[in-house]
Amino acid sequence: MKTAHLSTLMVAGFAALNVIMYLGVQRFWIGGSSFLPLIGKMGPGNKFLLAFIVNLGVIVGAFIGASTSGEFHLRTPCVSQLPRAILGGILIGMGITLAPGTCTTAFVTGMPMLSVSSCLSAAGIFIGAFIVFQIMTHKRA
Amino acid sequence: MALTGFLFGIGFGYFVQRGGLCFAHGLGELFIGKGRRIIRLFLVIFIITGIGFVLSSFLNPALGLKPVGEIRGYGFYNVLSGMLFGAGILLNGGCILGTLRQIGEGHLLFVVVLAAFIPGMAIVVFGLDPWLASGYHVQKIVLPQLLNAPATAVTGLLALGAFFWLWKVWPRRR
Repeated sequence: MKTAHLSTLMVAGFAALNVIMYLGVQRFWIGGSSFLPLIGKMGPGNKFLLAFIVNLGVIVGAFIGASTSGEFHLRTPCVSQLPRAILGGILIGMGITLAPGTCTTAFVTGMPMLSVSSCLSAAGIFIGAFIVFQIMTHKRA
Repeated sequence: MALTGFLFGIGFGYFVQRGGLCFAHGLGELFIGKGRRIIRLFLVIFIITGIGFVLSSFLNPALGLKPVGEIRGYGFYNVLSGMLFGAGILLNGGCILGTLRQIGEGHLLFVVVLAAFIPGMAIVVFGLDPWLASGYHVQKIVLPQLLNAPATAVTGLLALGAFFWLWKVWPRRR
């Protein structure tokens, strides 16, 4: 379990890096739309392609972080986990494309930008997640 | 540009992994009444990024606050897409950063999740987009424009509120 101070410091580092990237290359971190190149949509000025490359770097960075802290373990999924993962992935895919900027981007970039669309998206995320949480909780009970 | 982006990505990934940031887990914690951690992390992000973004316009006038989600502006679609996304992340246990982070940590299940984004995106782009295009009312806006107030004042006030919560309220509630 990560300590509260370490988590806070690292997340502060993430936020600071987002600002530095904005100042340096005039692009901020985006999540959902970065996967549109997987269906051939590169975005204006290859914007989504660059975001996709950034997010490939995120995987490498997470691997470095996990390896250096002894948290890397190769885990293969069991078959029973797959339907939920696939359904969840499809819903995420639809959500991030229906209104771009709707995803983690709303929390880490959009809301600090005071983007109205991101505030609405965050409200939607909360509602959708709460409905699924209630369904899952009732199923278990 | 691509190499620079990739290097920034490595930095993001390292910080996210070491910080244990994932909004799917965070929302789950929030719903069981243990949301202090994710609220704290969100407020830290909000203060640093918000102030950084608003001050960026003083260094480069082309920067500053910009609306996110350029295609459909803001409105009903944001709430609907948020609900789909929120349902999806709770189902599979990883937001975008959480999914990428967990792939980096060796969870192969999240490679399946990532692959499942493709049919979801394709349904919207190739199925719904042509139909929705006629009904869009594109309106790109940030909150200070809506309130007719200076961006520095709005960000400053919100950041002060967030800072007060972190400094005074959060330690007392621990």
